Formats: sequence, C-alpha cells, structure tokens
Amino acid sequence: MMAAREKQKSQFELVAWIKSLILFGMGIYLTLLLATGNLSNYINQRFAWLVVVGALLFFVLALINLVSSIKPAERAHKHHHYHITWDMLLVVAFPLLLAIAIPSRSLGIEAVNGGVSLSPVGIASVSRNPLDRNILDWLREFDRAPTPAQFNGSPVDVVGFVYREPLHPEDGFMIARFTMSCCVADAFPIGMPVMAAGGEEYTAGDWLRVRGQLKATAFGADFLPVVFADAIEPVDEPRQPYLYP
Amino acid sequence: MQLASQHNHRAIKPADRLKLAALALLAVLLLASIGYQAAQTGREYMLVLSVFATRFLGIFVEAVPFLLLGSITSGLIEIFIKSDDIMRFLPRNRLGAAIGGAFLGLVFPVCECGVVPVARRLFKKGSPISLGVAFLLAAPFMNPIVFASTYIAFGFGPVFIGRIIVTILVAVIVGFVIGSFAQRRAVLKPISLGGGHDEGGHCDHEPPSTRAKLMGALGIAGDEFFEMGRFLIFGSILAALMQTLVPQESLLALGTGPVLSVVFMQILAYVLSVCSTVDSFLALAFVNTFTTGAIVSFLSFGPMVDIKSTLMFTGVFRRRIVLYLILLPFVMNLLAGAMVNLLLGYS
Repeated sequence: MMAAREKQKSQFELVAWIKSLILFGMGIYLTLLLATGNLSNYINQRFAWLVVVGALLFFVLALINLVSSIKPAERAHKHHHYHITWDMLLVVAFPLLLAIAIPSRSLGIEAVNGGVSLSPVGIASVSRNPLDRNILDWLREFDRAPTPAQFNGSPVDVVGFVYREPLHPEDGFMIARFTMSCCVADAFPIGMPVMAAGGEEYTAGDWLRVRGQLKATAFGADFLPVVFADAIEPVDEPRQPYLYP
Repeated sequence: MQLASQHNHRAIKPADRLKLAALALLAVLLLASIGYQAAQTGREYMLVLSVFATRFLGIFVEAVPFLLLGSITSGLIEIFIKSDDIMRFLPRNRLGAAIGGAFLGLVFPVCECGVVPVARRLFKKGSPISLGVAFLLAAPFMNPIVFASTYIAFGFGPVFIGRIIVTILVAVIVGFVIGSFAQRRAVLKPISLGGGHDEGGHCDHEPPSTRAKLMGALGIAGDEFFEMGRFLIFGSILAALMQTLVPQESLLALGTGPVLSVVFMQILAYVLSVCSTVDSFLALAFVNTFTTGAIVSFLSFGPMVDIKSTLMFTGVFRRRIVLYLILLPFVMNLLAGAMVNLLLGYS
C-alpha cells in the first residue's frame, strides 16, 4: 500500500514537472516569435504587445507551478481542483510540437483557396504619392473612383506574389498580397492585374516588384485598371508579408 | 470512477489510454484531410500542411494571451472573492440576474477566449444559471476594448447601436430561458457545479498570507489554462482546418437578401472564430457585399458562439445545453438581423 502511494505521488510529481515544462516552453516559443520576427507570419504587428504579455504570464505561471511542485509546504495549500491528465498535457503541447516540426512560413500562394479578390478590405486610407501606394491602397483608390479610366497613366510600384488563373490572358497575371486585420484567421488575398511582355515566364507564388503604368483594360472577365509593366524584378518575401488594413 | 482511478497505480490508466488512442485517431484524421486537400488542389503535401500550421498557430498565438488573462481572473476570483460577495450585489430573481449577468462583463473585461473560465468559476461559486449564461454570451462584447474597436470601425450608427441592443437582448433572454427551464444539474457538468462553497474555505490552519493567496490563485490559473486550453486548441484546429479546406469564394457566393445574408454571415462568424476585440475590422470587409442586418448579426452572434468557444463550452455545460447555447442565440440573432434589415428597408 505504501509503495502504491509512493508511485502515485511520483506520478503526480511527473505531471507537475511536465506542466511546468510546457508552460516554460510556451513562454519561450512566444519570446522566440518576437525575437526572430516570425511573429509577423501569424498576427498583426499591432498586437505584438499582447504576445509580450502572454510570454511574461507563461513564465510567471511556470515558475509558480515549479515552486509549488518542489516545496511541499506550498503544496499542502494547493487544492487539486482538476485532475490534469496525460491527454490534456498532450493536447496543450500540440502547438509546441507543431511549431517545432514545421518551419515557420507566412501565407503565400498555397493558401489562396478559391481566388484572389479585386476589392479592397477595411477603412478608406489617405491618398498618398502613387509610387508609395501598395496593392491595398490602389484597390481602395479604384473602389472610390467613378471610372477605371481615371487612373490611366498613373505610375505604379508594388510588391507581391504572382497569382494565375486559367481565365487570365497569356502574358498577364495578378500581383497579390494577403491582408490581415488581426491574425491569419482573417487573412484575405487581394491583387491587381498585370500585363507584361514575357509575363508567362513568372512562376505562380514568386515574389516580384512590379513597376509600370495603369491603363483601364479588359482583363479576364473584368474591365479595370491594369498595370502595364515596364520593369519586373524578383525580390525576397518582405519582412512584413501581409498588408494591414 | 474517482475511486477506481485512485486505486489504479499503473503509469497510465485505462481510461486515459482510451483518450490517448482517440487523440491518435484524430491526429491521423487531421493529416488525412490535409492529404485530401493536397490531392484535390494538386499542391505539395508539406505546403498544405504548413498553410494549416500557419493558420492554426496564428489563431492560437492571438488567442492565448486572452485565455491566460481569463485563467488568471478565474484564479483571482476563486481565492479573493467569496460566493456571498457575488450574490450580495446581484439581483436574486432570474430576470434580474440575467440582466445583471449581461452587464457583468463591464466588471470582468474578458473576450471570448477568456470568458469561459471566468463563467465556470462563477458557477462554481454558486452563481445562478441565468446570470452565468447571460454573462457568458454578453461579456465578450460588453467591454471597453470591443466598444472602442466597434466605434472606430463603424462610428456611432446603426451597426454600433444595433450590436449593443441585440447582444444584450439575446444574452438576457437566453440566460433567462435556460435558467428557468432547466435544473442546475441538468445544465452544468459535475466539474462546474461546485455546490456554492468556497473551495479554499476548508483549511483548518491559520488564514494564509496575501502572498500565499496570490500564489494559490496563480496555481489555479495554471491548472485552468490546461483545462480550458485544450478546448481552445481543438477549436483552433477546427477553425484552421475549415479555412484551409473550404474555399472563401464558395462561402461568399452564397447568401444575398435580407434573411439569407444574415444566415450566411452568422455561419461565417461561427466558422471564422475571430476574436471579438477585432471582429469589427474583419466585418468591414463585408460591408459592401452584405446587408446592415447581416453585419449586426455577424458582430453580435460571433462573440457569443463560435467553433472554439463551442469546444470550450463542452468543458462547462452538458452536451444538450451546449446545443441550446448555439441554436438559441443563432435563431434570435437571425430574427434580430432580419428585423434590422426590415427597419432599414432592405428587400
């Protein structure tokens, strides 16, 4: 009977240790996301402070849990409200396992599930110098304008990834970005049509910087401002892969 | 059950083994459904898996600080607030308690990821069902942060006002109905019953210092995190999987018209499981496509119930009640949304 008791106690201690380990692990994971900048693959930078708070709280909880599992005096006060079981530990460890097993990536062409939108997202922005506008800014401008032809001749300089649909013309494609208000749960792909000599050479998913001029033209099934590219260069994925409405 | 498990000394108990086997099965199903999607779209398996991982971790990372804050609030309530205190300040009759519950969020500012542990703690402290349910449904919206984000996104107009009125009405009515027609034991799982006594109250020794109390509260918060965290994780997996598998366009192609648009936006709110503090900005994306009533219902229904909170509800309520907690708000928000459209003259 004594031996059984001991065994149960040691099992309880093991669970307590694993609990502390997972809590520490979560804190370290959030800290690493902040330190490496990989956080921008997941949530809007606006909410980075939340992750700081989360990491700190994890460390505090891990420490408290560790202290109370080492010091028996503290444990006497701790009433067992829940029976923490192995399956709970495994499920809560799942995000950590996933984060270790799969390298961090932003949402790209593979995440486009059912088309790239030509409509803007979010609140209207201020008009800026045309060359500073990103894809989202442009779509907002188009949305407000009475006629697509109004932008004829405007210079464009945008960065995004290549997206293709069967309906697109041979030397045309869309230059696309994901927008994100909060986290990837609301990520939404938007894009601008591009026409370029030799446009069929670019592979879907590649990141490009496209410079050119706008001209209202038929593209696929729509009549809208299309970028006629003068210069296209391959670029690395931006440090901030998403556009924030 | 409790007794049996205490007499069993093996490292992993048979009941736990069954659960672990079930988890393994779910993991296989998850990997298989990602494989199916990869085959359907002709994309590489690892790429689809990494899209799923990004979506899942994004939802989890955004939500987990709120769950921690909710767990800590729950621990603090457990240690520092006596059941009598809660009951003293709140109305005793069911309707009054439901109304009180709907406004309690102003005192405990928590979003939908944090509200469930707090609600369960209130139940354990002996809170009436009507109060707890109304709190659960209204609190994710009834807090200053969400007021602010809704105001910033929509200004002081039909959406802002509609969201407040519809949320309070639905929360109070559902709280009142569930509180009136069901027994406490039929509503709550045994783990959330608690019997109205303070669990910390049966220590014989001298009352612990504030420091020890704080330690105790944070210790409970840690347990609470594991207890509720698994539901958040299951919910986030489902939401991420849904977004990876179901094309956004096929959702958008549905629902126009004063009623269908509301139905559609509510389903979208349920599936997307976006946090209430930021859902207003997401809703902006749909302003041009959908009726005002649909936007109001999206914003009032979404924070009440979604995939991840449904999973969390199952840790507190009995299964039948969880179903009511989804269906009643769904139907009532639908009516409210259709009414808004009627008033604003959509046809």
